[in-house]
Amino acid sequence: MSEGRYLRPQRLDEAVDALKGGGWNLVAGGTDHYPARVVEQRPEDILDLTGLTDLRGIGEFPDHFRIGALTRWTDLIEAPLPGWFDGLKQAAREVGGVQIQNRGTIAGNLCNASPAADGVPALLSLDASVELASAGGVRILPLADFILGNRKTARRPHELMTAILTPKPARPARARFLKLGARRYLVISIVMVAGLLEVEEGRVAGARLAVGSCSAGAQRLPALEAALTGQPADAGLAMLATPEHLAGLSPIDDIRADAGYRRDAALILVRRCLADLGGLR
Amino acid sequence: MNTDLMVNGQAQRLDADPRTTLLDALRNYLHLMGTKKGCDHGQCGACTVLVNGRRINSCLTLACMHDGDEIVTIEGIGGPDDLSALQQAFIAHDGFQCGYCTPGQICSATAMLDEIAAGWASHATKNVASLPGLTVEEISERMSGNLCRCSAYPNIIDAILEVAAGKEQS
Repeated sequence: MSEGRYLRPQRLDEAVDALKGGGWNLVAGGTDHYPARVVEQRPEDILDLTGLTDLRGIGEFPDHFRIGALTRWTDLIEAPLPGWFDGLKQAAREVGGVQIQNRGTIAGNLCNASPAADGVPALLSLDASVELASAGGVRILPLADFILGNRKTARRPHELMTAILTPKPARPARARFLKLGARRYLVISIVMVAGLLEVEEGRVAGARLAVGSCSAGAQRLPALEAALTGQPADAGLAMLATPEHLAGLSPIDDIRADAGYRRDAALILVRRCLADLGGLR
Repeated sequence: MNTDLMVNGQAQRLDADPRTTLLDALRNYLHLMGTKKGCDHGQCGACTVLVNGRRINSCLTLACMHDGDEIVTIEGIGGPDDLSALQQAFIAHDGFQCGYCTPGQICSATAMLDEIAAGWASHATKNVASLPGLTVEEISERMSGNLCRCSAYPNIIDAILEVAAGKEQS
């Protein structure tokens, strides 16, 4: 049996050059690569991205932050970042255990596009975009347009995600992430909620809420975001969230929970998130 | 393909299929049987080793991705004649029953104590701006990547707390 090819480029131009030929499975942290292969190892061509060390790390620019594609969850947790990253940091601390956080990359979480990917709701609430590079150049897509469904993304086979870009909020902002699993630790999420509020003169000047694990890809809640805008920023925000605001979700029955439970839990988590965000000083 | 690894301070050259996990390389090629295969997909932590000082699940990574890396397994942490402080504390506190998860628990706890010393916050840390306290809740959270199906958790936590308290005083 053929082993398959293995390539570990050290520079981005080598990597995108190799991708022109197609057929590669891209591996970085690998935390979701191997579990799918335990039962049967099959020949495959592995493009190991971990040599592209320039793609690891977080940089600040005048109007945005740039999170390199190979930035690991632990890197994010350790980085000194403004308060509006607190939601993403909370998500990072709940991605598996520390052993997983030490290997798993943020771009891998996005490219893998699991409906239960913990990073997606938090990055949607940060209004993130992703940068994709190929031999032909670079393009930038809003994250919401990048994730197309369960394990489906807009990444073309010859493209590589190089960074995640998050704009700086125009006003003082606060952020939270809540996750519900069957137990406290090391579980795949049943429901997750991420929220970011921009607050000015005691009122909500902008809101972004996203729910994960309740549709093929995490969803923003635009009707709720509109209802929150202009309201006093206090714990009373929680009761503004109604079941109708979650009508756009399409939860499924699976081994972790049934759809009705997910819908109920999502509303409760949204309300808790808003109570928490509104109550912050 | 060939991969050069530094395992427990010794240079090792591995000649294996690129799809070989680091766990299988350690056990089947280097015959270091202390690292255990529990679930083989990143849920139990029995295969935890240190790579360049960081704890990772060796079942979730390919050996060839670690060319040039420094790897420490339970054999490198201490043997019967030179037990580490954590190994001694696990014995003193009966921090196991069947013992299968123990090498992973000890590798993980070894790295965790370094993380606490470096001041990293965890999900259980109430105030992320302050140094993490050595509470049962904090240790449980930080060790959540290591399961013990005999449920020796109270004794495991006692063992870790004893060593952590000793480090704080020294």
